[in-house]
Amino acid sequence: MTTRLPAQPNEVIDRSKPLAFTWNGKKMRGFEGDTITSAILANGEHIISRSMKYHRPRGVLTADFWDPNTSVQVGDEPNVRASHRALVAGMAVSAQNVWPSLKYDAKAANGLVGRFLTAGFYYKTFMKPAKMWPAYERVLARFAPGGKVDLDTPHGYHDKRYAHPDVVVAGGGPSGLAAAVEAARAGASVMLVEHEHDLGGHLRWGSNDDADALAGLVAEAESAGVEILTNSTVTGRYEDNWLAIAQRNHPIAVERLIKARAKVLVVAPGLIERPYVFAGNDLPGVMTSGAVRRLIAMYAIRPGNRAVVLTANESGDAAIDELERAGIEIVKVIDARTGATVTKASGSKSRVKAVTCSDGSIVDADLLVTATGWTAPTSLLNMSGDRPVYDPASARFFADSPPDNVLTTGGIAGDGNRDELISHGRSTGRLAAARAGVARHRIQAATTRATAVDGPEPAYPDDTRSPLGRDPHPELFRSTSHGMVDFSEDISSKDLFGAAAEGFDSVELLKRFTTATMGPSQGKLETVNTVAVLAEARGETLAEVGTTVWRPPYAPIALGALAGRVFEPVRVSSIQPWHEANGSTPILAGQWVRPEHYGAPQQEVRNTRANVGITDVTPLGKLDLQGPDVAKLLSQLYTNKWMQLAIGSVRYGIMCAEDGVVLDDGVTGRLGDEHYLMTTTSSGAGGVWNWIENWLQTEHPEWQVHVTPVTTGLTSINVAGPNSRELMSRLVGDDIDLDPDAFKYMQVRTGTIAGVADCVVWRIGFTGELSFEIHVPSGHGLHVWETLLGQGESLGVAPFGLEAQRIMRLEKGHFIVGQDTDGLSKAPTTGMIGLLKFDKDDWAGKPEVAWALEGDYPRIVAIQPTDPSIVPDEACQILREGTKDIVGRITSSRFSPTLDRAVCLGQVTPEFAGPDTTLTVQLVNGEQITARVMQHHAHFDPEGERLRG
Amino acid sequence: MGKHKSPARYSAAGLAWRGLRNKSWPRVWREPELKSAYDVVVIGGGIHGLATAYYLASNHAITNVAVVDKAYLGSGGSGRNTAIVRSNYLTPEGVAFYDRSLDLYNTMSTDLNINVMFSERGHMTLAHTDSALRTMNWRAEVNKLQGIDSSVIAPDEIKKLSPSLDTSPNTRYPILGALYHPPGGTIRHDAVVWGYARAADAYGVDLHQKTEVLDILCEGGAGPNGKGAGGKVTGVRTNRGDIHAPVVVNCTAGWASTIASMAGVRLPITTHPLQAAVTEPVKTFLPTVIVSGSLHVYVSQTDRGELVFGASVDPVANYDMKGTLEFTEELAGHVLELMPGLSKMRLMRQWAGLCDMTPDYSPVMGPTPVDGFLVDVGWGTYGFKAGPVSGEQMAACIAHESMPDLIAPFVLSRFTDGTLVGEKGAAAVGH
Repeated sequence: MTTRLPAQPNEVIDRSKPLAFTWNGKKMRGFEGDTITSAILANGEHIISRSMKYHRPRGVLTADFWDPNTSVQVGDEPNVRASHRALVAGMAVSAQNVWPSLKYDAKAANGLVGRFLTAGFYYKTFMKPAKMWPAYERVLARFAPGGKVDLDTPHGYHDKRYAHPDVVVAGGGPSGLAAAVEAARAGASVMLVEHEHDLGGHLRWGSNDDADALAGLVAEAESAGVEILTNSTVTGRYEDNWLAIAQRNHPIAVERLIKARAKVLVVAPGLIERPYVFAGNDLPGVMTSGAVRRLIAMYAIRPGNRAVVLTANESGDAAIDELERAGIEIVKVIDARTGATVTKASGSKSRVKAVTCSDGSIVDADLLVTATGWTAPTSLLNMSGDRPVYDPASARFFADSPPDNVLTTGGIAGDGNRDELISHGRSTGRLAAARAGVARHRIQAATTRATAVDGPEPAYPDDTRSPLGRDPHPELFRSTSHGMVDFSEDISSKDLFGAAAEGFDSVELLKRFTTATMGPSQGKLETVNTVAVLAEARGETLAEVGTTVWRPPYAPIALGALAGRVFEPVRVSSIQPWHEANGSTPILAGQWVRPEHYGAPQQEVRNTRANVGITDVTPLGKLDLQGPDVAKLLSQLYTNKWMQLAIGSVRYGIMCAEDGVVLDDGVTGRLGDEHYLMTTTSSGAGGVWNWIENWLQTEHPEWQVHVTPVTTGLTSINVAGPNSRELMSRLVGDDIDLDPDAFKYMQVRTGTIAGVADCVVWRIGFTGELSFEIHVPSGHGLHVWETLLGQGESLGVAPFGLEAQRIMRLEKGHFIVGQDTDGLSKAPTTGMIGLLKFDKDDWAGKPEVAWALEGDYPRIVAIQPTDPSIVPDEACQILREGTKDIVGRITSSRFSPTLDRAVCLGQVTPEFAGPDTTLTVQLVNGEQITARVMQHHAHFDPEGERLRG
Repeated sequence: MGKHKSPARYSAAGLAWRGLRNKSWPRVWREPELKSAYDVVVIGGGIHGLATAYYLASNHAITNVAVVDKAYLGSGGSGRNTAIVRSNYLTPEGVAFYDRSLDLYNTMSTDLNINVMFSERGHMTLAHTDSALRTMNWRAEVNKLQGIDSSVIAPDEIKKLSPSLDTSPNTRYPILGALYHPPGGTIRHDAVVWGYARAADAYGVDLHQKTEVLDILCEGGAGPNGKGAGGKVTGVRTNRGDIHAPVVVNCTAGWASTIASMAGVRLPITTHPLQAAVTEPVKTFLPTVIVSGSLHVYVSQTDRGELVFGASVDPVANYDMKGTLEFTEELAGHVLELMPGLSKMRLMRQWAGLCDMTPDYSPVMGPTPVDGFLVDVGWGTYGFKAGPVSGEQMAACIAHESMPDLIAPFVLSRFTDGTLVGEKGAAAVGH
């Protein structure tokens, strides 16, 4: 039983290309050019969904993207807008949120108790017994609308595009098209973005003259070089015309995000036809005039057999012509301009059967067409900061005062015949191009160019367009009966009256209480009716009630498109290929992947302590600092003194945030008169850079310091162990003297290593051994590493990983920021009291640290369990004996191969920080052990004889 | 002192009776005349202000109270947050405070006779790095000793609780574990606002919407017009006229420092937008609240099927609530990193709220240098979950003219005597 009409003059379907698909498992055929909805209708079915709350059967209402009744599941994709989505061969389409089937839906029983399920009913019940609420909640959640997510959906290809057009026109109807043409002819680069599959707006379902005019405009646009994007939507307008465009017809990407910085945005979305509120207005067979015209003209679908038309405007009148032309019987025309209206549509659950008119007459009909007015989709204007104003004479909202770089044309700007709309569009395009020209001139003049900008800045063009008129339109929102206002949320005007009477009588409260306008339609169809019903309930005008703010996105946009290619690079050092080839176990450390060990970390420790080890410490944050004021900067950031640091020396420092909490630590060396190299912790590298820029840009813009992050520009290797000097001596050039008296602990040299010039090497001792940390240009990192291994073979050299490094630093008692300190640890907790210099003018955190010193701050201490074989987990709590009072915690713990026992660092309250205090440590399994606070942070070589050797 | 009037009780029976008789419910709160004087004026009709007014009336019989809001009730942070509640904080002060809040939320539906839909669905904070896992272990150990149900669970358990998460080791930031807090969950934030408003109204508290405070009236202070330290408050000037009151409480968010400056009080607050977004509804598949600090995202699914997303505050201080494209892009990327199957779900709406950040990530509560002018501000990104307990304690503070123990650490003077609180470790992305 097909409802397909004979060929229509401007139909968009290609009858020579049939497409097979399934609807709820049933095999069907449509044509290329069909939407999913038109194809289903052509196969004689007209119920596409069930409503959210009452599960009432729903059919086509607007037959476009905004149709609230035609969301379907297509394969793994939920919430597909079937009245917009083009039919593709093989599509498996099914109804959403129905059980057991679309035809017989068990939850339709909700309709029987609808009078009890008023908006917000759930706030008033399910409270007792309280323990039952989780069960109630599970039931409520089963009523959640929408389709099903397939958790195995592949991510797909979603790369983004960046564009910098002079003018973006949002909307490719007659005005938008004309604007694009004229802007392009005036020399602007223009992107024309059309929401639907083809350009033309309402000309597509108009007369043959309309079709001819449209073809002419499209040809003009093509020859003018306009970039045309169809099935694409400007979903957001952000600061300075930063536009998000969802392109849904990209040949590869399911949906692509185009980010465009437009100099001028022309808003030309046309108008959205507003449904009318009356009893039975959600019965299948009740449609807007636009739906009927689209179905007939574009898809050759017979929308019904006996039609009643309620018309208040030209679109309704045109629908009458269209119905007549298609041979559909028109049983009654109600002209709303005369005050007549419809009060009720009645029928079976699945279709209109009769229409009750305001004169009391009842007419048999299976199609009721309404043309009761327009909603201006002002979203992009809202996002531009405009607050549109309601005009009661035209019964719709108009822009108030958008910014100069946002222009409107077409239906959102006013009314007119085809020529007037095109003419307004053309003048808008010229204005847009002229304003974009000024903006371009300003940008070019403000930036350094190879070629000078021509001439003086052109005068800023005023808006001299003759405005479109505004046709009078009756204010038709609700008839004398109650009906559906928000179709996607199942909210009726009766619900809204009830909520307003309860006191939810401002538009935002009403929205939140009833959820009207909060569903997938996001207000496109229902906002104005919601406001109108509230105005009626309050006895106020629409302008007094006001409206809600429309927020981005204008149309929903896929998470995949927003995410783009999920792209977060993995950072590795130049030596990583060697690590991978030599049995390293990788560990993820923030953005970095680095070797945790090479099989036996304990052996790596022993070898380093006995012979010599090398480790890749490239992730250490490194900042190259140059300029006359670096010392001032360092003094401001670190707690200790930096003004007198000699060239060739390095110093360790602690940085605090302004609340005195330890932010980072590291070694900075002075390489030259105005040249320093700073190292930070690996995880703190980005934060410290930001922190420095913050000081330089906002607090001390007068300081002359250049900061260059060189973390990956330099490969860093630590050479540690008693044989390290001997190993280094086999690599360094004549420009570095390794003699202990010439190159002392905490000094830095620059020179040649393994034939590589411009290396930096300093003597420090994180591991507690005599050690040299070398920073070589990354391109030579692997070469230096391999040379160290080759030259050191006879010295017993072996690589060690992060784990061995952690063990050795723990043996040595060096704390790690963020592990042994936390978000509450102020500088004194580290025990580095000597580094806190209060005789300096200022440093970040100074007052807070001073206060902390007066109080009972927790202390970092070295701890050894009484039983040397028990290694308490990091995070184990330290308790006051016999209580649950927390007095500290283990922050680091390892088994020490050097001492053959468990060693820890921990934080404890001052009462428990004294040497030889016995601590009670609660293990993760709940058992308690005892441990001893050590004299010194270093479990091993507390005098530092080895590293100074 | 009894209730001013008895509200129509909400119940299934009431729904049935009114449904059968086609009767609508009475007004949820009155639209009272603005009186020229009250005992207490509360500025801000969000959860903090309304809870303060409610507990003043219910616990302390102080009912001559006005709550004024420049827009509608719940128009600020109370209606813009992502409605997550939990109590697995780090410091003993934080745990005690938020645990009390959770207690109040647990019994709120019956206490206030409105279903606030507290969904105790469990709260999972994911760890993607060794160091994050260490912090989770720490929090779990502390919580265990404090009697808070909170433990670290492994990827296989995470997968069982939330099958949509990619717990495989092959992701860019593999999930190594999670801090699981079964009592955490979500709540219907608007219902909490309406519940407090309706209950406060029933005690005779006057709720004045669309009433904007233009100035705070003071006398005796060191600054101009008697404002500032040493002075005392005498009332507020609104767009609808002056109100005299010996006690004025600033319960605003986003404008806390602006309001305080009207009394000559400077607050150590910077205001940052916090953005959020919601998808189109789909059938429910996500049973718990998921938080990932490393990926700066938290997500839960409402009973309506929408996914609600939040993130960290915007880095730059400002008052712009329009939202940014970059937020949605990063958000989507991080969500798909966690749950790669969602690439065809669609973002339906984004919005922003304003967060008043303090240097130590803890609120400012109690008296100020201006006598009678109190604050309950600086709630950063954690104000909603603290609403009930804040109202309860602020009411006690006003009634007894002394700081209750539970909020004593949050006094304004801590910024001048160095006793900062610090929940930074737990609250930085603490949702």
